[in-house]
Amino acid sequence: MLEIDDLTVRYRTAGGEIEALSSVTLEARKGSTLALVGESGSGKSTIALAAMGLLPAEATVPLGRILFDGADILTMDAEARRQLRGSRIGLVFQDPFSVLNPSLRIGDQVGEGLVHHRGFTAERAFARAIELLDEVGIVKPEAVAKAYPHELSGGMRQRALIAGALASEPELLILDEPTTALDVTIEAQILDLLEDLRVRRGLTMVFISHNLGVVRRIADEVAVLYGGQIVEQGATEDVLQRPVHPYTKGLLAAIPRIGRRMARLAAIPGRLPDLRNPPAGCRFAPRCPFATDDSDKPQRLLPVGERMVRCSSAEALRETPWPVQQETVSAATGAAPTGSGPVVEVENLTKSFVLSRGALRWERWRPVRDTLSIKPVDDISLTIAPGEVVGLVGESGSGKTTLGRTILRLIEADSGLIRIAGETVSDKPQSALEAMRRAAQIVFQNPDSSLNPRKTIRELLGRPIARFGLAPKSEIPKRVDELLDLIRLPAHYADRYAHQMSGGEKQRVGIARALATQPKFIVCDEPVSALDVSVQAAIVNLLADLRDRLGVAYLFISHDISVVAHLADRVAVMHHGKMVEIGPAEQIMQAPTHPYTIKLLSAVPRVDGPPLARGETVAVDALA
Amino acid sequence: MSPEPAAATAPVRPPRKPTPPRKPWPLQLKLGLAITGSILLLGLLAPWIAPHPWDTISMRTRFLAPNATYWFGTDEYGRDVLSRLLMGARLSIGMGVAATLVSLAIGVPMGLAAGYFRGWIDEALMRLADVLMAIPPIMLGLLVLAVTPPALWKTAMAVGFVYIPPIARLARSVTLTLANEEFIQAAKARAESTSYILFREILPNAWPPLIVEASLRVTYAILLGSALSFLGLGAQPPSSDWGLMISEARSFLDRAPWIALAPGLAMCLLVVGINLLGDGARERLDPRLKARLGKA
Amino acid sequence: MAAYITRRLAFVVLVLVAVSMLVFGVTTLLPANVAYLILGSFATPEQVHALELKLGLTDPVWQQYLRWAGGFLTGNLGESTLMNRPVGPMLLEAIQRSLMLTGVSFVLIAIIGVGLGIAAALRHGRALDHGVSVATYLGIAVPEFFWAIVVIIVFASWLGWLPASGYEPISAGVWEWAKHLIAPTLTLVFGHLAHVSRLTRSSMIEVMQSPYITAARAKGLPERVIVLHHALRNALLPTITVLALDFGRLMGGIVVIETVFAYPGLGRLVVFSIQNRDLPTLQAAILVVAAIYALANLLADLLYARFNPKIRFGRNVA
Repeated sequence: MLEIDDLTVRYRTAGGEIEALSSVTLEARKGSTLALVGESGSGKSTIALAAMGLLPAEATVPLGRILFDGADILTMDAEARRQLRGSRIGLVFQDPFSVLNPSLRIGDQVGEGLVHHRGFTAERAFARAIELLDEVGIVKPEAVAKAYPHELSGGMRQRALIAGALASEPELLILDEPTTALDVTIEAQILDLLEDLRVRRGLTMVFISHNLGVVRRIADEVAVLYGGQIVEQGATEDVLQRPVHPYTKGLLAAIPRIGRRMARLAAIPGRLPDLRNPPAGCRFAPRCPFATDDSDKPQRLLPVGERMVRCSSAEALRETPWPVQQETVSAATGAAPTGSGPVVEVENLTKSFVLSRGALRWERWRPVRDTLSIKPVDDISLTIAPGEVVGLVGESGSGKTTLGRTILRLIEADSGLIRIAGETVSDKPQSALEAMRRAAQIVFQNPDSSLNPRKTIRELLGRPIARFGLAPKSEIPKRVDELLDLIRLPAHYADRYAHQMSGGEKQRVGIARALATQPKFIVCDEPVSALDVSVQAAIVNLLADLRDRLGVAYLFISHDISVVAHLADRVAVMHHGKMVEIGPAEQIMQAPTHPYTIKLLSAVPRVDGPPLARGETVAVDALA
Repeated sequence: MSPEPAAATAPVRPPRKPTPPRKPWPLQLKLGLAITGSILLLGLLAPWIAPHPWDTISMRTRFLAPNATYWFGTDEYGRDVLSRLLMGARLSIGMGVAATLVSLAIGVPMGLAAGYFRGWIDEALMRLADVLMAIPPIMLGLLVLAVTPPALWKTAMAVGFVYIPPIARLARSVTLTLANEEFIQAAKARAESTSYILFREILPNAWPPLIVEASLRVTYAILLGSALSFLGLGAQPPSSDWGLMISEARSFLDRAPWIALAPGLAMCLLVVGINLLGDGARERLDPRLKARLGKA
Repeated sequence: MAAYITRRLAFVVLVLVAVSMLVFGVTTLLPANVAYLILGSFATPEQVHALELKLGLTDPVWQQYLRWAGGFLTGNLGESTLMNRPVGPMLLEAIQRSLMLTGVSFVLIAIIGVGLGIAAALRHGRALDHGVSVATYLGIAVPEFFWAIVVIIVFASWLGWLPASGYEPISAGVWEWAKHLIAPTLTLVFGHLAHVSRLTRSSMIEVMQSPYITAARAKGLPERVIVLHHALRNALLPTITVLALDFGRLMGGIVVIETVFAYPGLGRLVVFSIQNRDLPTLQAAILVVAAIYALANLLADLLYARFNPKIRFGRNVA
C-alpha cells in the first residue's frame, strides 16, 4: 500500500542543515497496522508529513521515493498529490485542540472532504458527517455536528478528527500520536475504535507514537527510529518482548512496569547525536553499553531472524539484556526517617472554584445568581510519614495538582486542617508560614516554565539558601556545588542559564532548588511527564536515591500509573476531587477495589503481561 | 526536548561551551542602529558642527534655494535650514524619549500591579485606561495642553501621559503570562515577598518585550509631539522643532518648498530608523519569550 | 448574546460619563475667565462678577458639571463664547463634514488595507510582500501633516489639479465639492493604510501557519477553499478590532488634516476652540468625538462577537 524507499529528508535551520531522516525504508502492507516508534527528535513525524506531501518549505528531499499504490508521491504534480490527500490517504494529527478550525462547525469540517473529492453538495456532506460521527461512537451526532470545536472535550474532538479523516473512505490512514493528548481511559476507547475501524473497513494504518504500550495494543509491525534512522523493525510482540538492537533494549528497560517492582529503572545515558553532522558509524554508539570498535563503521539494516536490525553485533547481542545498574545506596547522610509522627497530615480538606457565574435573576425580592462551581478537592484526608512516598494518580481534572498546591497553601483551601512537620499551618496567615515554607517544597511539571530564564543556576539555587539564612553568604557557592553534586550535574553548570540545558537537566535543577531548603517533604507535581522515556527513568531514579539518602517524603503526583507504581510506597487514586482509594502500592496494583481504580488500571497500555486481544478493553462507557 | 545526558552513575561528559553560537544581527537592527545613531550623533554635536547659527535673522538671505553655502536653503527669516534641522534633531529625539520615559515610569508599575494582583486593582486600573483610550490621542493631548501656555517640555509630558494606557496594557499582559509560570509558584513556595516577586522575578523577564515596545513608542511620541507643535501647542518660535518648522513653512510652499520638505524628510528618516531598530530588536528577542508572549 | 450586548452598551455609557467628567474637569482648569472673554477686557470687576453669578460660575464645580451634563442630555450644548451662537447646530454641521471625510477615507482604508495585507501574506517572502512591507514602513513613518504638505506641493502647487485648501458645499456643484475632498482624503488614506495592511498581513500569516490550515491541506482541499473558507474568517477577526481602532485614529487625524486643508470640520473646530478658549464648544466637540469613537468600538465588538463562535455561543454543549 505505502512503500517508503531510501528516504532522506533535510531541514534548513538557522543553525545549519539538519538531517531529520536518513535512508528510511518502510512498507505498510494492505490491511495491517505499522507503528513508527521513537523519542523526540527521532524523525517519526517527518515521515507522516513526507508521506502526505506536506513537508514545510524548509525541507528538502535529496533522496528517496514514497510510493503509494505504485505512484511516487514526491514526484507527482501538486494537483495529483492534492487529489490523493484526504481522499485515498487520511491523516489524523496529535493535538485535537489546535487542528480543528475554531470558526467552522464540526459537521462542516468532517464532511468537507466529500464536497471537494466526491462532489457532494454541502447538505449531503453534512448529513454524511452526522453518520460518520455516529460511526466513531459519538452519542448525539446531530448536536455535535452543529457544534463548534471549543464546545467539545478532547476525546470527542479526536473522534471528530478521525471521522473527518475517514469521510472519503481512504485506504490508508496515517495517525501521528493520536492519543498523546488524551487521558488513558479515553486513549483506550480511541484505540478500540481504530482497531474496530481497521477490521470493518480493511484500512491500512501507519501509527506514530512514542508510547510502546500503545503500540503493542494496535500494531502488527513496529519500526523503532533513532536519530533519523530505523534501528529495528519486526513483528510487534516479537520486538517488544525480545529486543535485539541495544537502543530498543534500553528503551524497554527504561519503562517502569506495573507489578514488577525494581529498585531502580534502567536509564540510557548521553544525548541524541547532532543531526547537523550525523556520525558515519552507529548513531547510538556513544550511549551504547555494548559499543565495540565496529560501531564506528557505517551500520546497515540487516535481517536478524525475522527482523531487520541496524547493528553489526546484533547476532551476538540477541539474548543479552540491557545492563541494570546496581545502585549502591550510599549511607544515609541526612536525617534518617525517625518515628516521630507524620510529616504531613491533612484532614477534610476542601477547595472549590467558581467556573462561571450565571445571569442575575430575581427570587422574590432579592437578586440571586446561579453559579456553577467545581470541587477539585473534596473532603480529602491524608497522612504522609517521614521518608514515605505517596503516589497520587488521577486523570486530568481529577484535582490532583490542586490538592498538592492546596497542601502547600499556594492555593487557599475553603476548609480543612493542614499540619506539616507537626505545625498546624491551615489557620495561619501567609506571613507566618516561614517554617512551613522551609520544611515543604515543590517540584514542577514543566522544566521550561519552572526556572526563571534570566537567572543562572547559581542564582536559582543560592536564593533559597540566602532567603532562609541557611548558610553565611560566603558559604553559599559551596552549598550550590553540593546541591549540584547531589543531583549529579557537574559544578560548571552553576554558570549556565536554563535555556542552555536539556529538559532532563532543567528538571534536575528544579529538584535541587526544592532540596536547597533541606525540606522534610516535597510535592512532586508531574515531574517526569514532559520528558522522554529514557530521561524519565533517570529522574525517577534520582528521586528514589534522594529519598533514600535524605529521608525526604514525597507526594508524587502523576497521571502515569506505571511511574507511580514504581516509586511510591502507598498510592492514592483521585477522581472528580474525591480520593476514591488509598493503600499500599502493591495492593492497589494487584488488587484494586474501587471500580474507578480497576478501570484506570485496565486502561493503562502495557509493554508486558499477557497481550490483550486487540480491540478488547475494559467496559467502555461510550462517551463522557 | 533533547535527551537526558546523565545516567544514574557518575556523569562523564565533555564540557560544552556555555553559550550557543551567537545569532547574527538582523539587517534591520544594523540599519536602524546606523540611521538612528547618526541622527542622534548629529543632533548632539549640532552646536559645533552646524555650518551657520540656527537663530540669527538675516533679511538679506531670505528664501535662498539650496546651494553650496546653504545646503538645504534658507527660510523666511534668512536662517540656514540645515543648521536649524541639526538643532531640531535633539529636540525631536529628546521629546520622544522623555515622553516614552514618562509612559514607562507610570505605565509599567500600573501594568505590573494590575497583572499580578488581578481583582479590583486590575479592574480599576484597566477601566481608567479605557477612559483615557476613549479619546483619540491627539485630542487628549490637545485637551491636556490647552490648560497651560505651550512649551516643548509640557508637550513631552502630555504625550507621555497619553501613551500610558498602551504601555500599561502591555505590561499587564506580559505580567499575566509570567505570573502563571511555575517559577513564580516556586518563589511563593519559599515565601518570597511580593516586591521580590514583582521586581526580581517578573520584571527582568518583562523588560525585553517592554523595551521593544518602548522603542516603537518613541516614534509614536515623536509623531504626536510634532503634530502638537505643528498645531501650535508645542515648541514656540523661534525654536527649531521640526513640527514647528513645517508649520511655519506652510505659508511658503509655493515659493520655498524646501523649508517644509527638509524637516519632513528628516523626521521620516528618524522614525524609519527607530522602527527598524525596534523590529530588529524584536527579532533578536529570546525566541522562547517571543513564542510565549505571542503578539503581545 | 443579548446579555453580551447589554453589558457592552452599559460599558459604553459608563466610559462616556467618565470621559465627560474628564473633559469638564480639565476644561474648568483652563486659565480663562469666561466672563472676561464675553465682556471684553474693558469690563469692570462688578460687571464680571454679575455675569459670573448669572452664568453660575460661582457655584461648586459639581453643580456646574451636573448642569452642563444635564443640558447635554436634553440637547442644549450651551452657547459658543466666541461665535455667540448655540454650539449644537454649529457642531452638527462640522460633524457632517468630518464624517463625510472620515467615512470615505475609512472605506478606502478598509478595502485597500485589508486587500494589500492579505495579498502580501499569501505571497509571504516574495516580491509583492517585500514591496508592501517597505511601503507600509514608510507609511507608518511619515507624519500626517507632512503627507498633507507633500500632497499640496504636488497636486496644488506643481500640477495645479486641486485646490490647496478650503471647502465648498455640494450646492456649489458636485465637482467643486469633490475637488476639495480629494486632497484631505488622499492624505488620510496614505497615513492610515500602513497600519491596517501591516496587521492584516501578520494576522493572515499567523493563521496560514496554524495547525488547522495544515490539517485542511491534509484533507486535500483546494488552496482557494483553504484561503477563503478556512483562513480568512479567522484572520479577519483581529482585523475588525484594528479597523475600529483605526477609526479612532482617523478621528484624531482630522484634527491635523482639517487644519492644514482649512476644512471646516470637527477637528478644526477643536483646534479653533482651544486657541480661542471657547470652552462650551471644546467640551461638546471632544465629547462628541469620544462618543463616535466609543460607538465604533462597540460596533467592532459586536461584529467580532458575531463572527467568533466562542462568544456567540457559550461554552460546552457536550
